[in-house]
Amino acid sequence: MALTIDYSKVAPEGNIFLPRECKITHVKQVTKTERHFTLRHADNSKVKFNPGQILEVSLFGFGEIPLGYASSPTRENTFDIVIRTVGRVSTALNKLSEGDSLYVRGPLGSGFPLNELQNQNILVVAGGIGLCPTRSMIQYITDRRNEFKNFTLFYGARDPSQQMFHEDIAKWKAAKDVDYHEIVDKTDGKWTGNVGVITELFKKTTITPDTRVIICGPPIMFRFVIAECDKIGISRNNVYVDLERRMKCGVGKCGHCQINDNYVCVDGPVFRYSDIQNLEEAL
Amino acid sequence: MSKPKVAFFDFTCCEGCQIELTNYGDSAFLELLNHIEIVEFREAMTEKADHIDIAFVEGSFSREEDRARLEKIRQRASIVIAYGSCATSGGINAMKNDTNDYKQNVYGKDANMPHLDSQIALPVSAAIKVDYNVHGCPMDKYELLDIVSHLLHGKTPVIPNYPVCVECKRRETICRYDVGDHCMGQVARSGCGAPCPADGIPCEACRGFVDSPNEVALKKVLKEKGKLPERWAERKSKMFTANHRSDAKKLGV
Amino acid sequence: MNDYFISANDFDAFVSKMASERNVIGPVAKKTKFVYGKIQTNKDLRLDFDVTILPPKKVFTPTCQTLVTFDGSKFEGAVDKQPVVLFGVHFYDIKGLDMTDLLFSENNRDENYMAKRKAATVIGSSVQNVSKRAFWGSVGANVAPKGHDGFITKIGAGYHYQSLTQKGEALVGYGNFKPATEGQAEEARTVNVSMMSKCPEALKHSSEAIAKKVRDSFKNQELWANLSEDCFSCGSCNTTCPTCYCFDVQDKWNLNQVSGMRNRYWDSCLTEDFAKVSLGAGAEENFRETRGERFRHRFMRKAAYLNEKLGGPACVGCGRCSAACTADIADPVNVIKKIMEV
Repeated sequence: MALTIDYSKVAPEGNIFLPRECKITHVKQVTKTERHFTLRHADNSKVKFNPGQILEVSLFGFGEIPLGYASSPTRENTFDIVIRTVGRVSTALNKLSEGDSLYVRGPLGSGFPLNELQNQNILVVAGGIGLCPTRSMIQYITDRRNEFKNFTLFYGARDPSQQMFHEDIAKWKAAKDVDYHEIVDKTDGKWTGNVGVITELFKKTTITPDTRVIICGPPIMFRFVIAECDKIGISRNNVYVDLERRMKCGVGKCGHCQINDNYVCVDGPVFRYSDIQNLEEAL
Repeated sequence: MSKPKVAFFDFTCCEGCQIELTNYGDSAFLELLNHIEIVEFREAMTEKADHIDIAFVEGSFSREEDRARLEKIRQRASIVIAYGSCATSGGINAMKNDTNDYKQNVYGKDANMPHLDSQIALPVSAAIKVDYNVHGCPMDKYELLDIVSHLLHGKTPVIPNYPVCVECKRRETICRYDVGDHCMGQVARSGCGAPCPADGIPCEACRGFVDSPNEVALKKVLKEKGKLPERWAERKSKMFTANHRSDAKKLGV
Repeated sequence: MNDYFISANDFDAFVSKMASERNVIGPVAKKTKFVYGKIQTNKDLRLDFDVTILPPKKVFTPTCQTLVTFDGSKFEGAVDKQPVVLFGVHFYDIKGLDMTDLLFSENNRDENYMAKRKAATVIGSSVQNVSKRAFWGSVGANVAPKGHDGFITKIGAGYHYQSLTQKGEALVGYGNFKPATEGQAEEARTVNVSMMSKCPEALKHSSEAIAKKVRDSFKNQELWANLSEDCFSCGSCNTTCPTCYCFDVQDKWNLNQVSGMRNRYWDSCLTEDFAKVSLGAGAEENFRETRGERFRHRFMRKAAYLNEKLGGPACVGCGRCSAACTADIADPVNVIKKIMEV
């Protein structure tokens, strides 16, 4: 049921609960509640993971939270994460500055199946903070653009102040080989772009039925986007959803992220939609 | 960082929680004093301070005239922590909330003296915004240490929302129902470490209910398995959780 | 490997000698019940126990287990590799250990459980007394216990001991064991086989039939709502289960506020907050919000989800959940009977 992944190649060796120290090389407040961190391994070793994989980020005394990699493994010296201030751990992490240490375990779980995506038309639909984990794939595609055919990106935010990665957006808008469309639920008055729900963006461009679709966003968004994909005639085998759960261990033991038979942390967080469409607890 | 200024206040209560605080009697409390500065504590000192970082409030809100004093504390304090059952739920004081004759029963001919006037007993949160609750009658001093430790680091304390049964099982306590007794551990908020059943005493839910207590099943089990008569089973959870029950009285009702 | 016999008197001396030289954990009395605890002398060991309050997995993953300790910016793992002899485990609990062994070792190997487990000598014991809610005689009959190093059976004149590994064989040195006669070995076999029919409760269907029906009943919301009507979400059924292994992780500071530890605690999917996710700005999503959904999840896990991986249900029939549930709604025999009748 899980997407093909060789656990032995991605699992941390030895004690699975022992994290590795990382140094913050850059940090930027991107919205009122979200901060964008660039990290390097404290021992300067290369960063290896698959786009879409996750990691557990922690501070001792506060605890751990699961996050997706927000950059592509093609940038192997550093990696990015985005932290939203939500609870105990994220609040503490968001007080850190450049040069500080934090601790990570990963890469964990399965990523996007690159072999199924290469040489295909790709649509990424990202809602809100869902842009962060999908950015690992988006950046991978833009870094290796010739390995993919048409690339369309839909990005929806609650309002203009919630938009992240402004430099990326400028690049995507400028790039001839990125079909970028954005929308906000609510305008702030100054916004001149699209306003409405993310599915509106399907009217702005042509998505062919052979497109591979990646979806990540708030739970409510998935169903509407999948309905649009169905209308186009995209096979549910070719739709990949990136799910979020309360993962305590990230290694398939603690049980918190379990959806029916599946552990989101090891079987996911990326699932082929056709594999989970009948699981009531999934979406 | 400079030591946070901590103060202790009491309202309608027995001050047992303050006594419990002075009962550490071991290195734990002294170690804690390395990290905080106590600026007001009636059971142990007379000094006072203007600004307070953490105010611990004991006792229930049961007299309208206490509202002003509580509001004053709220203004002075960055963080307000209600500690002990009286403060977090109204506690045992709330037993009176559905009676009319308690004053006569307790004070007899003095029942109508003006200083005995009170309304229904409510948690401190009925009068002012409370940031955190330290449940229990008395509150558990080690839990309080743990919560202070969290706050020293700017971390929201972890207060469990699972029942006492979890903690009994973890320490392999023989269930009160297995020895023909009754218990309310199934609906009682844990965090205490379940000392009472371990000592052979039923849990009275002094820390209040979990967020979603199954009150109907509780009554049924108290009756059928705990062998309590109908009326006892019905009233059992009024001792500490009168304000948590679905039939709880609200202010002005 | 080898079959031995030891007389009742010699057995007492054996236990005391073993306990004086090794760290031995076994069933000990706790008032009217039994728990796994430290064995100091032969008098502590109560092989006549019916069932322990918690299953023996607590030896390998205690209810609170430190995973990492930290001191400022320094940190280290807390893997405990101390050898232990776990002496006196009923066959159903060996099956439970077999399951947690597999679940903790597959994919991402959990050294915090596995290191202690590998350093342990596990000795099974015949069931001398059957607990009131046991139904191990009728559950997962085709799943044989396999993770133990030896097995001791009380027979007429003393005990029959079968060593199964080098670790099990090593214990023979602590006592006056003699090679068992064929008659003694046969008597032990008879004792263990005859116990299988002595459970007060029994499942009436095959594991396969149950797994299918339980899965097929997934969307029958009324069924699950009815079954869980009296559920307190107290987690007693999970917490006492030998095959449950979910946990929560919390960090704690020591009193000096500089050093501390990252601990895991046994957790329970029946409790309200187990599948709750914070979304920020006070918003939450609970993926199993109702009692019925949580109750269903437990039965899916016990009767269906893990069967393929484990070769049978994730239930060994110990009856601990049945006994621990004050509302008496957790008994798998009763629940499965109701599900099968729908």
